[in-house]
Amino acid sequence: MSTIRAFALMTLKGLTRRRTFWGIALVTLIALAGIGSIPSYDVTGEGRFMIDMGLFGIEIGSLLLAIGLASNMFPRDRESRSVMPLLAVPLSRTQYVLGRFAGAALVQTAAIMVWCACLGLILAVNGYYVPEAMLPASILLVAEGWFLLAVVLFFSFWTSPPLNAPLTLLLFIVCQMTPAQFSGLLPGAERVMEALRMLLPRMDVFHIKDPVAHRIPVPTAYFLLASVYGLAYTSFMLSLAIAVFRRRDLK
Amino acid sequence: MDPVLRVEGLSKRYPRQSGLGSFQAVSDVSFELEPGGILGFLGPNGAGKTTTMKCILGLLAPSSGRIGVFGRPPASREARRRMGYIPENPDYEDSFTPEEYLSFFASMRHIPWSRGDSARMLGRVGLENWGRARIRRLSKGMRQKLSLALALQGSPELLVMDEPTGGFDPLARKEFRDMILEENARGAACFLSSHILSDIETICSRALILAGGRVVREGSMSELLSSQNRHRISYRKPGAGNAEELVELADLQAAIDRIRSSGGEIEAVGREILSLEEVFLSATSGGEAR
Repeated sequence: MSTIRAFALMTLKGLTRRRTFWGIALVTLIALAGIGSIPSYDVTGEGRFMIDMGLFGIEIGSLLLAIGLASNMFPRDRESRSVMPLLAVPLSRTQYVLGRFAGAALVQTAAIMVWCACLGLILAVNGYYVPEAMLPASILLVAEGWFLLAVVLFFSFWTSPPLNAPLTLLLFIVCQMTPAQFSGLLPGAERVMEALRMLLPRMDVFHIKDPVAHRIPVPTAYFLLASVYGLAYTSFMLSLAIAVFRRRDLK
Repeated sequence: MDPVLRVEGLSKRYPRQSGLGSFQAVSDVSFELEPGGILGFLGPNGAGKTTTMKCILGLLAPSSGRIGVFGRPPASREARRRMGYIPENPDYEDSFTPEEYLSFFASMRHIPWSRGDSARMLGRVGLENWGRARIRRLSKGMRQKLSLALALQGSPELLVMDEPTGGFDPLARKEFRDMILEENARGAACFLSSHILSDIETICSRALILAGGRVVREGSMSELLSSQNRHRISYRKPGAGNAEELVELADLQAAIDRIRSSGGEIEAVGREILSLEEVFLSATSGGEAR
């Protein structure tokens, strides 16, 4: 465990020194500030538009951060050969994957929490009530972010970074949609989607924008179940990533 | 005493990039490294040296054969704990400093490590003033020195080195050789791959030459450098000075008889001593098997 912790800290330090991280973090903050500057769209006068768009912006920021942080981690280590001295110390391949994930997950969690706090601040500055459900909403965004991070990490062991981004994006879109939404696209698409939905997670589970915006309390059981659901899928993707990496020759 | 490193019948095939068939990189390679030994690993480009090294480090899975590092599989925690590795042309996360790298590697190796230890280790490899500099500011040779510092951390019992002096100037190369000899005197076994034959000749007790994925020559340095076929006869000519003659083994007795019959006095007969370069070229150009 201490090996994973040490490697996760090393990963965290490395990621926070990358321009990609600061670029995505700042662009998302600017987008949130932009949403705050257009309160005229808020016809109800209760900040619903701001909450809805703000949480959506944070979700997109989280997706971009997952791709920006994790798609390049292993390819970069392999290209620069820095993976070789790493794996020559007592760091197993499983510990490598878990350490890289944990480091990136810490960075992503911190970013989501800061974005959510900023959204709360923007609401408060604009004179709106900050809903209590903002905290569970942000925790579920973290659960979704971890799953996306695990997906990107899994893809990074067998695809190049330019292919990783569209694959992750495709998965993100597919996981957001219902099979019926695909019915008009291609003949049989609905059936393919139904099959895929049995395997892939339903990301709408993590979205509680509506209850937050309408100040409907989120049941604790739902919040806990959704978190466990996210963690289970994250663990599944990490297991796949470990299985792929353990079988891989490092030429 | 059990060998530090044992490679038995190692073969490695890579699938071709086209996806059709495979390519044999290493074929039936076997050797051992005894505790306290320094084994030089030579071969032309594409001979299979790096593939063999990566199999020893557990980075590649052999297609067949067995590798034991301290009697354990190379990817095992115990084997890695007792081993230090210097890669060829290493690169590191360039936003880190050498001190940070040493500290992180020590944590992963579970070695108690302080800033003083980093300063001592960096001083030993000649990076005393670069401990807090970003790696992006280090030259190729300096990065190689950092690799050496990382490999020596925790006093490993086996040092695996893949072209370790590639970026070094002559002075740094000499310092490197001295350091390897110091480590060897401490008890560390060394497995050294290099194209710089003078380094191998100076510090290795044994050497192994690989060509076309196979071992073509192996032995102690004195065995390798003494010619198997040609002998040098030193003799004194009657009424003249000393003379020498190089003859093939088959002609040795006839040459001795001829010198004696002409009144010459044989002073010494011995195998011709070759340079490692001559041995390397003859072994790799002819593809001569062991």
